[in-house]
Amino acid sequence: MEIEVTIRNAENGSVLNMELDPNTTIEDVIEGAAEFWHKEAGAYVLRRGKKLLKGQSTVADAGLKNEDVLELIPDPEGG
Amino acid sequence: MPTKITSWSEYQVRERPPPPPERVSSHRWFTEDMDHIYREVRDELPLYVQRTAEEKMRNHSLAGMRASHEVMGLLLGGRFTWQGREYALVRDVATTELEASEYHVRFHEDGMEGLFESLDDLDFVYSIVGWYHSHPGIGCFMSDTDVRTQEGSFNSPHHSALVLDPVRREMEAYHMVEGNVVLRALGIYWDLHQDPYRG
Repeated sequence: MEIEVTIRNAENGSVLNMELDPNTTIEDVIEGAAEFWHKEAGAYVLRRGKKLLKGQSTVADAGLKNEDVLELIPDPEGG
Repeated sequence: MPTKITSWSEYQVRERPPPPPERVSSHRWFTEDMDHIYREVRDELPLYVQRTAEEKMRNHSLAGMRASHEVMGLLLGGRFTWQGREYALVRDVATTELEASEYHVRFHEDGMEGLFESLDDLDFVYSIVGWYHSHPGIGCFMSDTDVRTQEGSFNSPHHSALVLDPVRREMEAYHMVEGNVVLRALGIYWDLHQDPYRG
């Protein structure tokens, strides 16, 4: 059964709502949001509250529920 | 598995006057080029950094220098508009455990929850308006890795990168313009009831 979550872009405060299948991976969720906001998916992580959502886990594994609010956070690398 | 976006909304940039000129200054760590561009646009700066946020970054870079590694964090604040021009305010910074060496830095995966906790503890609704990191002893510039980060994450007009060299006591800020990284003018501001900034 599909669920709908809200994703907040921490860089500009914009939000989107996304419909997700339980088998969708968190990586796919990040990719969908990053593509929408013209960002590079590999440079971001997704959080729910204080919890980092692991890229390989699925929506079901991560325990995401309908109406959850997630946040897309940049994961910068400096050199 | 594909995802489906059902609706979205853009953030509405708020009108807010920038800090008044009598509560804005340059910084003694500015390089000559930074000081020059600060003086050129000091009445219409695109970026203002709160004094305490600047102190946190500077102290963080000095701590990293003593441990011989780079440090890094996120610039937290918001973007605003006033009389037709947009600017960004950095009101605080956040960092966490790092995976760092003399020439490389990123957040340690184990530190992410601590970073998120810092974000949740803020007393304002934040946007991440950029990032800072240090280059101990090698001067301020944007390396290839830094440019990739800027292009991949911080490519909007209000996004900035701050680089500090705690050995040379230098600071520069950058942003993206048509795919190139260029210097960005910034001012340090302080709140009405704070002591004036002394650097």
